[in-house]
Amino acid sequence: MLFASLAIAILLWEFYKAVGPEDGGDIFGWRIIPKTNDRVMPHTWTMAAEFGDDAIGSGDQKVWQVLLGYAWYTFRMAIAGLALGVFVGVGLAVFMARFKIVERGLLPYLVISQTIPLIALAPQVTVIRGSLDLPQWTSAAALAAFLSFFPVTVSTLRGLQSAPAASLELMDSYAASWWTTLRKLRFPAAVPYMVPGLKLAATASVIGVIVTEITLGGLRGVGFATIDYSQKVTSQPASVYAAVFAAAVLGLIMFGIVVAGESIAMRRRPKEVVG
Amino acid sequence: MSDATPQTRAVEVSDASMVFNPGTPGEVAALDHVDLTVEPGDFVSLIGPSGCGKSTLLRVIANLLEPTDGSVLVNGKSAHQARIDQDYGMAFQQSGLFEWRTVTKNIELPLELKGWDKKRRQERVREMLDLVKLPDRGEHMPWELSGGQQQRIAIARALAAHPPLLLMDEPFGALDEMTREHMQSELLQICAATGTTVVFVTHSIPEAVYLSDRVVVMSAGPGRITEIVSVDLGRDRDEDTREDDTFYKKITEVREALRGSEMSAEARGIEDR
Ligand SMILES: Nc1ncnc2c1ncn2[C@@H]1O[C@H](COP(=O)(O)OP(=O)(O)OP(=O)(O)O)[C@@H](O)[C@H]1O
Ligand SMILES: [Mg+2]
Repeated sequence: MLFASLAIAILLWEFYKAVGPEDGGDIFGWRIIPKTNDRVMPHTWTMAAEFGDDAIGSGDQKVWQVLLGYAWYTFRMAIAGLALGVFVGVGLAVFMARFKIVERGLLPYLVISQTIPLIALAPQVTVIRGSLDLPQWTSAAALAAFLSFFPVTVSTLRGLQSAPAASLELMDSYAASWWTTLRKLRFPAAVPYMVPGLKLAATASVIGVIVTEITLGGLRGVGFATIDYSQKVTSQPASVYAAVFAAAVLGLIMFGIVVAGESIAMRRRPKEVVG
Repeated sequence: MSDATPQTRAVEVSDASMVFNPGTPGEVAALDHVDLTVEPGDFVSLIGPSGCGKSTLLRVIANLLEPTDGSVLVNGKSAHQARIDQDYGMAFQQSGLFEWRTVTKNIELPLELKGWDKKRRQERVREMLDLVKLPDRGEHMPWELSGGQQQRIAIARALAAHPPLLLMDEPFGALDEMTREHMQSELLQICAATGTTVVFVTHSIPEAVYLSDRVVVMSAGPGRITEIVSVDLGRDRDEDTREDDTFYKKITEVREALRGSEMSAEARGIEDR
């Protein structure tokens, strides 16, 4: 499936490049039809070949080698951000499930927090990081966590509240404490609900790191590469797409990690869909 | 298992009332001055029209609900203390098994919460699986079992800690007639083998009569006990009991008591208007 859709995307790209106007086009005076020249829309095979080209300004390293290094750097920050986001997200969800009043007081602010553009937040985070004497990459991890905690919180909260009344009554009949009920009932019941949240969080975390790299500078990952290459676009137009491709693959890998975790956690669950 | 002397009653509900949402338009008098005594080893059924407070009475005994008035003693202790001590096991209409736990792990749950070590838990689970005649299903997941098998596992879980008292709310309601009768016989055997006291909520008159030493007939609006029918069919009941003349006589008796209770409830309803 994955390869079929990739093939279709390539076909569409090449089709448009073949039939679209070389110099773009106007609709009602707006310039919205993209140009199809080799600078704006390089051939897909040029992009693929780009990975094997010599990277500009990186000695005798090929583009793919440089990108791999960048991707590994971004990956580690994204993992750190996801871990932090999951920790904070689950923590908040448990806190809100425990105290109804906290849910009512806190949840609206969490929603608002997600409307703040990351770019507006990045400088503040840098200042705080500087005052705490933390290494630079923690900024990216923090902003990745800022993006990824939210889907985790929402999905976990819903999951924790999904335990059936009869099961809660059963735990009550055992005089089980709230924490015991959380561990033995609410948390396991929440797992199927958490999976979609974690999937969103995994990709959001990559986006968070890349946006931070682009905004703050100094962090040499995939995000940095897209900016760096776009400045060299005249000499190697396809290299930008190579960097974008690397970012996409990174997102897919993060997603894949969650899917792998899901198949382990859900191995012996009934095959039914939850909302 | 318990430190109750033979003289201690298994359940003693005195003058208990339960009002939901008091002082609001949604006020419901679910129980109205109810008295009920259950001796150790007794099998008592609660029967009555829907909404007459059977489940409420069971929850009050289980201390899942605090009655608005009156007192409840279980095993000679307050219902609260009895719940802390896990003096009773509970089984509901839905088996309520945890779908992420194996059958074994489900039965182990109350033992785990009591802090039993693994070896002791395993021994008890094996014993319980034999008791409910599913010895080789321990490693299955609940959703791999039939409805009747799931219900048996739920009963095994309720009995795992050998509680002196078993509280059951329409546990066989979701089963077909054949499985149901089969489960009834098994429940009687299990109770005879373990000496467990049972308070059993049901909608089925034959079920109540077949199982019980006493059938408690309730009426609605507000929930009251209107009659208690003693069923003297002896303890050794089998499939032949279901064809017994006394069995039919008792069914008729309970049915008439129920009809009376419903009529009096209707009469009260008319008065109220
Ligand atoms: N949590 C609750 N809040 C408000 N009212 C309740 C609550 N639980 C039960 N009631 C009311 O109390 C009355 C008795 O309910 P209960 O569940 O005990 O009936 P029941 O005899 O078990 O009925 P059924 O045979 O249908 O299970 C009903 O009128 C019901 O609406
Ligand atoms: Mg009920």
